This record gives sequence, structure tokens and C-alpha cells, in this order.
Amino acid sequence: MISGRTMRRIIAGREAGTVLGLLVLCVALWIATPYFATAANLSNVAEQSAIVGVIAIGMTFVILTGGIDLSVGSLVALTGVVIGGALQRGWPVAGAVGAGLMAGIGAGAVNGLMITRGGLPPFIATLGMMSVARGGALLLSDGRPISGFPDPLRVIATGNLLGVPAPVVLMLVLYFVAYLVLTRTVVGRYMYAIGGNEEATVLAGVDVRFHKTVVYAVSGLSAAVCAVLLVARLDSAQPIAGIGYELDAIAAVVIGGTSLLGGSGSVIGTLIGALIMSVLRNGLNLLGVSSYLQQVAIGTVIIVAVLIDMALRRRIQRSTR
Amino acid sequence: MTATPPALAMHGIRKAFPGVVALDGVELVVQRGEVHVLLGENGAGKSTLMKVLSGSVRRDAGEIAVFGRSVRLESPRAARDAGIAIIHQELALVPQLSVAENIFLGRAPARGGVLDMARMGRESAALLTQLGANVHPEALVESLSVAQQQLVEIARALSLQARILIMDEPTSALTERETERLFETIRGLTARGTAVIYISHRLDEIFAIGDRITVLRDGRNVATQVVRAADRRELVRLMANRDVEEFQPASARIIGQVLLRVEGLSHGRALHDVSFSVRAGEIVGFAGLLGAGRTEIARAVFGLEPFDRGTIFVKEQPCEIRSPRDAIAAGIGFVTEDRKREGLVLMRSVRDNIALPILRRLSTLGVVHDRTENIVAEDAVHDLRIRTPGVTQLARNLSGGNQQKVVLARWLATGARILFLDEPTRGVDVGAKQEIYQLINELASTGVAIILMSSDLPEVLGLSDRVLVMREGRIAGEFARADANAERVMACAVGM
Amino acid sequence: MHGLQTVRRVVPAFCVALLVAACNRGADSSTKPTVALVVKTLNNQFFIDMEAGAKAAADSLGIELVVQAPEREIDVERQMQIVENLIQRRVKVLLLVPNGSKEIVPAVMKANAAKIPVVAVDTRIDAATLAASGATVASFIGSDNEDGGRMAGAFLVEKLGGSALVAVLEGVPGHETADARLRGFRTALAGAAGMKIVASQPANMERDQAFTVTQNILQSNPGITALFACNDVMALGAVEAIAAAKRTGSITVVGFDAQDDARKAIAEQRMGATVAQNPREMGRMAVITASRLIRGERVPAEQPVAISLVK
Repeated sequence: MISGRTMRRIIAGREAGTVLGLLVLCVALWIATPYFATAANLSNVAEQSAIVGVIAIGMTFVILTGGIDLSVGSLVALTGVVIGGALQRGWPVAGAVGAGLMAGIGAGAVNGLMITRGGLPPFIATLGMMSVARGGALLLSDGRPISGFPDPLRVIATGNLLGVPAPVVLMLVLYFVAYLVLTRTVVGRYMYAIGGNEEATVLAGVDVRFHKTVVYAVSGLSAAVCAVLLVARLDSAQPIAGIGYELDAIAAVVIGGTSLLGGSGSVIGTLIGALIMSVLRNGLNLLGVSSYLQQVAIGTVIIVAVLIDMALRRRIQRSTR
Repeated sequence: MTATPPALAMHGIRKAFPGVVALDGVELVVQRGEVHVLLGENGAGKSTLMKVLSGSVRRDAGEIAVFGRSVRLESPRAARDAGIAIIHQELALVPQLSVAENIFLGRAPARGGVLDMARMGRESAALLTQLGANVHPEALVESLSVAQQQLVEIARALSLQARILIMDEPTSALTERETERLFETIRGLTARGTAVIYISHRLDEIFAIGDRITVLRDGRNVATQVVRAADRRELVRLMANRDVEEFQPASARIIGQVLLRVEGLSHGRALHDVSFSVRAGEIVGFAGLLGAGRTEIARAVFGLEPFDRGTIFVKEQPCEIRSPRDAIAAGIGFVTEDRKREGLVLMRSVRDNIALPILRRLSTLGVVHDRTENIVAEDAVHDLRIRTPGVTQLARNLSGGNQQKVVLARWLATGARILFLDEPTRGVDVGAKQEIYQLINELASTGVAIILMSSDLPEVLGLSDRVLVMREGRIAGEFARADANAERVMACAVGM
Repeated sequence: MHGLQTVRRVVPAFCVALLVAACNRGADSSTKPTVALVVKTLNNQFFIDMEAGAKAAADSLGIELVVQAPEREIDVERQMQIVENLIQRRVKVLLLVPNGSKEIVPAVMKANAAKIPVVAVDTRIDAATLAASGATVASFIGSDNEDGGRMAGAFLVEKLGGSALVAVLEGVPGHETADARLRGFRTALAGAAGMKIVASQPANMERDQAFTVTQNILQSNPGITALFACNDVMALGAVEAIAAAKRTGSITVVGFDAQDDARKAIAEQRMGATVAQNPREMGRMAVITASRLIRGERVPAEQPVAISLVK
């Protein structure tokens, strides 16, 4: 029988494996091209990972409870358009951003209610929201992007704190908060319990329906924060923004070691997953690799990461039977 | 005269896993037409031996001969081809398919590639009738109760025309009547020459159906005896290596005021006008056939199912219970029938499982106090003598008995003074069973009101101060401890 | 257990190592200057032709050409990330076909800051936004899209005798290219009273979207006899939708870009006309301009490339 201590080491090893994967990738790129390991480039990579990285926080929460949120890409567009529209009407930056965040929370809560009260499977509910939100974004903006925003908004993307780009600071802060919530708070424990065994959690007297709704609201909020970043970065709110972002977010979560079945995983893993994807894209750009091959490479990494994760999981299960 | 080879002969079987030797030169000989009981605590090697026999695990050393022919058994398929079928305790059915489809899973009869549904239905119905199962072949497995699902599993194994049938705790979710029916079927099979390997903890059953017994302990043979010549206490001692009171110790307890009173509980067709009360320190046992309504009472009082009529009084105050949260707040706990599905979050630690219902109490402004949580869990582990390397051990790594104790610990941590126990020793080995009985008695002596629901009649009779018999959703009779015995209770349960 | 961990570590490195070998470029040669061409997407024949023209010029001039693009024309953020990464690579000149005329300006600013000249190709970078941020573009090489749109409109007016119900497939909302073409087209139609635009929908420059949108337009406006699509990719999708509705021949379709498939369709009378830009020429001129910029020469701010109607 493998002792509990060894088991803990192995499980810790799973996350160490992801970090090591990232490090090896970086070393390989460092060797392959002199442009990778410069401060400026690494700063770029971190900044580029913030876009998907922020969404992936909410996605981690959702996947931990055993659900999925396919609507985040469309929510990025919708909340972006809300922000852009508000700014166009002369709202102050704080107000516009607030409106966007509220829109994200609201849409996410609708997702949650469809799932908990309506009994819809998360896949279906968020798929529906994906279309509705995209349509809503196009309607609100009349299909055209809204541009030209004041500096206080732009600084969210262009500013920096002690040399670290603002989006990176924002991302790290949010990840830190998410980490604390998941590991130290009651709500965090509930997430893991719901994902691990929803029935047992209901029996333990936890208001599972409420907490699941909250989780989807958090996901909507993440999408809204991403929209803030995107709008600030591009100085434009596009109704067609965010297409495909949900898949990137899910990829980051999965590469980071969170199980799609729910109940196990961590945000730190997701952060590493998001970084791995950005580093990979950045490296392939620097090396001038054809765009087609880039798509193949990223897909391969995702598949391989999940395969390894599943194999490791089976090994652990078998050895404890 | 040449001796006819036995149905099964296993010699010198050895199997080691990283860190532990599960089987150390085990012998097992089963004659044709014999019911051979395999006895042993969890961890003694029974399941590993059966895994070797059914092809799921490959042995390191030893020979196996089936009806005189040496076999390799390198896969479940090979075992099936050799005529070995196993019915697991953990049901291996597909919930979304029908009973007939499950029985013929992987071997569905077909004509030219198209499923022969009629034939599947006919043959399934025949098998089910043979078992006395009130199950329709078209019914979806997920709509059946645990007991009915088990009968489907047995039907499936029977349809495989096995000559050696392994049954792992087959009656754990069956009532007396169904168990009798099963025994008849087994006797029918053995009359035809089939050999049955029967794994069970229930000594009454063993003595009823078994021909010979092999006792395993720590991966080795300890004894092989003929059932008629065996002595119960001796067997338990051989298994546990200690003198154990097989039956629950009687104890004198002080019975206090009424903690729970249920009046006129009715719900659809499941419950009719059920009224009873339980006092502090009292153990009230609910006996009855499967489907009589025992679990339904617990689910209603615990807030899991709404009910049409009835009032619940806790400490003589009317209590509105609409969800488990309300029930927990009222001081009620519920150890469910299926701890893996409804009780524990297996991939979380012992500590997380124990603390789950009371996390809010252990936190300020939403942040959990790790240290307090640890203390609560460690105290529980100590008080209930839960065997685990530490509170951070994952729940799934514990044995059945210890898992059950974790569930108990959780309810005690919520401060529950009224405890519903639904099949508390199901899937738990003899040694741990004793401990749980002891715990139940200890809890009662601290003033907890216990409602015990179990289809293990000796268990109910041995523990309860009063026995209530359920029949078709009603309370059919009540017996005080002194008046209760198996015949009277059973008679009441079937309506004689 | 250790075996699997090692595998997990090795595999990502393995992937990259494979790709390093596959891309065959090795370390950057310091002898040849590197120029980057970032197009809207490589899933469009137009830009593949542009790449071909650029490559030919690069080979003859001894320039190392790196071509990158996002997967879809609509992905502005991705294009911006590619530009940022190429700036890190210290390319000498950036040749850019922007997915978002206004949105790409922050990236242009970064290129300016890194002293990398930017040349806009085929699609203009919005002048007002550039001026507001103080960024500069060294040159614009492209056709006058508005003029092209006018030609397409004039063709339809003549072909249909000045009277018809017209459907329009717009491109990506906010894209300067498509907007200009539409402007020109509408101007040409404004002169003819009998030409009415009854439907105008975006199909994001994508073929399957154009198919679906056209099908829907045919349902709601069965009387149309003409269709203008802002690019050939969409026009071909519309042609297929019209064929599926068995109305080939009764609706005149005009596209833009003069792709090979479109020329074939015109020859087979499934399409009416298309406006030929010359992407190959654009690519060639872009690389030549880059070469001149590297040598420190001055280049004209506007370098128009002629267009013509193919019918």
C-alpha cells in the first residue's frame, strides 16, 4: 500500500510537472532563438497571456464544480460593447467599467439559474447564452466597433507598476485572490465538494444551487474583466471580439491539471496552463513557423497534456485499490 | 476409481502489489455442486483472490485448474470462456440501458446485425422470474432500487452459463424474502453441478447456504471447515484473531425525553400515516421488507423529499424541515444507505468530509480556520477510532468500515442529537462491524436518539430497544426488545 | 510514477524541438535583413498571392521574409500579438495588412518606438487615429477600394439596364477595405434611379457565412437580380447558394479580388464580374519599399496599385 505521504508527493508532483513543462519549453525556446529570453519579450508574453488568463480564472471555478461555460467569448464581446457604449454616451470611466462588470455578473447569473433552476445541462445552457450574448453585442453596437476611449481607461492596458505591465499586475492580483478563495474559504471548499460529489454535498446541508449560480456569475465577471483589458488594449469595443476565447480558456484550465469531471485542480495550474499557451504561440511567432503549423502545435499540446493527466490519475487510483 | 476433478483447484497463489503482499501461497479447492464460502476481514485477500480468478488481475505465481484443466486466466474474457462468472458487490450496470440490455451487454442476440429485442426480452424475463425478481425487462436500470439492480447483476451472470459462480456479498441489499429466493436459485444451480464461491460476512447466511468454509487472514489460509461442523465463535475468532462477541453487547441505558416525534407522515403511495417517537438515548429499529418505506421516512424527515401531510416535532416543538440544512439545524443527522454515492466526497480528505456541514461554524467572514478544522477532525478520528494515517488522507483510501465511521463523525460534528442510520454496516467487515455497533451503543448512552434502519435482522434485533415493523408504507407493528424475535418480526413484515 | 513525470516534462520540449527542426530556419542569419509581412489571414487566396509576390521580390533582393497571420480575419487581438512578437524579433521593416484599421494603431505605436518603419498594404490604417496617437506609417501600398466599388456598381448598372433589385454582402463591420468598396458601390448606384438595394448584410468575408446569408436573402427577397459581395470569397459562397436555389443565370453576381476561382466562375457564366486588384504586385512593391527603407531612402506616402474589372 502506498502511504499517504507518498501519495501527497505524487499529487504535488502533478502540478510540479506542469511547471516543469513550462520551464523546459522556455529553455528550449531560449536555445532556439535569441529573441525569446529578453525582458521585453517575456513582458510581452505575460501581457498576452493576461487576456485568456483572466477568463480562465472563472472557467477554473466552473469546471471545478463539474460544469462548463461556453459563453465567455460572447460575454467578452457583450460586456465590451456595454462599456464602449457607456463611454460613448459620456459616462465616466469608472461608471462604464462598472456597468460592464455588472453586465457580466448578470449574464453569468442567468447561466447559473438556467442550470440550477431550469435543470439545463451546463453545456446546453451556456451554448445558448453564447449565441444570445453575441447577438446582443451585435444589436447594441449595430454591428460596428466603437472606438476612441479616454486615457484613464487605456492606462489599464498601457500602464505599468514598477515596470510590470498593468494587465499582468491585474492578472496576478486576481489569481492570488482566486487562490485564497479556493484554498482558505468556505466557498472554495464548497466548490471542490460540489465537483467531487454533488449529492453528498446536498446531503451535508450546503445550498448547492446557490453556490453553483454564484460560480457562473464569477465566470461572467471574469469575462467582463477580460473585456475591460481588451477594450483598453485595442482602444475599441468590437461586437465580434472574443470568438474562440472559451476554448482557449478551457485549454488553459485543462493543461493546468484541473479535471473536466470536477472536484480536483487549482488556479495555479490554470495560470501555468495559460502561460504555456502564450509562450508556445510567442515562440512559434518568433521562429517564423507557419500559422498552420502553429494551430497543430497548440492542439497537440492540449491533447498530450490531458492524456498524461488521465494516465497519472489512473495510476494513482489503481495503486490505492 | 478415478477421482472426478474438482470444479476449481487453486494452488500456491501469490500476488504482490507495490508495498504489500496481498496473497501469499493461497489454496482454494471447490467441488462441483458445492457452495464454498470465503470468509475473511477486509484486507485478508478475498477480493484479490477473486480478482485473480475472474481475470482482472494477473497472479504472480501458482496454478489454477478448472474442472481438471489448467487455465491461464489472463483477462476477464479468458475467465468467462473458462466458465467463471463473478457478481461484484459494486454493481457494474449501465444505468441508462434497460434490464434486458444490461443482461445481454456485449452479447446481445442479433439476427443479421439487427438486435433481436423479442428474444432478449423473453430470456431476460425467464431469468428474472427464476430469481423471483419483480423487475420488468424493459425497465431502465437507473429507475431500480439497489436491491433490484443486484438481482439484475445475478441474472446476467446466470445468463452466461457459468459453471463457477463467484458471489461477493450478494445479499447486502436484499431482504429476507429475496435472500431466500436467491438461496433457492443457488441450490438449483448447485444441483446441476455448478460450483458457487460465496463471499459474505453474514454468519446466518453462511450457515444456511454454505457447504464448506475457507477462512483467509493476511493473505494466507487459516482454516477450511465443513459448515455443519463449524462453530460461529470459532470462525469469527479465526478471522479476526481475537475473541469477539459476535452479537452486540447488551447495555443498560438511560432513556430520556422525546427528542423526535413524527405524526401522520404521508407521502403519495410510499408512506401512509406514519407516526412514531424516539427518546434521547433510545435506539429504535425499523425492520421490514425492501420497499416498505424505511428509507422514505428518513428522507422525508431529513428534508430531502417533500411530503403531503404530517408534522415533525423536535423536542416537542413543531419543526419546519424543507431542506437538509433545516434538518441539520434541528440537530438531525442522516447516514445514508450508499456512502459512496451520497455520503462521502471520496476525492477529498477525511478532514474535509467531516467538516463539510459545519464549515461556516469553523470560519470567520468566510475564511476557514485550518487549525480549528484540524482539531475537530482529529478529535473525531480519536473518538470514533477511525483507522487512518492522518486526517488529510483521502476518503477513498479508507476501508469500508472506516469510511462509514467518517460519515458518522461528520454528523456528530454537527452536534446531531437525532441520528438516522440506514444500513450502517453494509459492506463493512466483521471486525469493523463490531466497532460500529459499539459506537452506536456509546452514542446512545450519551443521549443521542437513534433510528436504525437495516435489513440485517439480527443487527436490528440485537441493537434496538424497540423494533417498529414497516409494511407497505405503514407501521404494521411494534415490539419491545424483550418480545422481539426474528419470526415474529418477519411475520409482521409480511402481514401474517 | 517517475516515468510519467519525466514524460510530462520531456514532451512539450519535444514538440518544440520538432518544430524547430521543421521550420528549418535555425538561428537568424545576420547577413540578410529580416522583413515581416503580417496579413489578415492565410486562409484567403488573395493573401497567399500577396505572399507569393513578396517572397519572389525578397529572394531576388536578398531579404529574409517572415510571413505570419492570425487564423481568422476578424481576430484583431491575435494580429496585435503577432506584431508585438515580431517587434521583439527586431525585424527591419513591418509590412502590415491590418485586421482593424483603428485597433492596430497601438501596435504601430510600439513599432515606431522600436524604430521599425511600418508600411500599410492593401488596407489603410486609420489616419485620424494615427494622428491622435502621434504614430506614423511610412507608406500605403494599395488600390483605391472605393474606385473599385464604383467600377463594380457601374458594371451592374450597365448590365441590368439601370433597373434591378440588388443584394449586398458586406464584409467585416468596421473594416476600412470593405467600407470603402461599399461606399464606391453605393455611389455608383445612386446615379441610377431604378437600382435599389433591398438587402445589405455582413458575412465577415467568409464563404460559408456568405452561403447562409445569401440563402436567407433569397428567401426574403426573391425578386433580386443582382448581388455585390465585397470580396470573391463571399461572392463564391453566394454563387453556390444561388446554384442551390436553382437560380444561376437569373442573378448577376459581382465580387472583388479576382481570385482564380472567381475567374473560373466568370468564364463558366456563374459569376458576372470581379474587380482585379493585384495582390502579387502589392506584395512585390511592399518588399521593394522595405528594401528602400532599409537603405535609408525616402519612399512616397501613397503608392497606388491599378485595378481593373474582369468580366
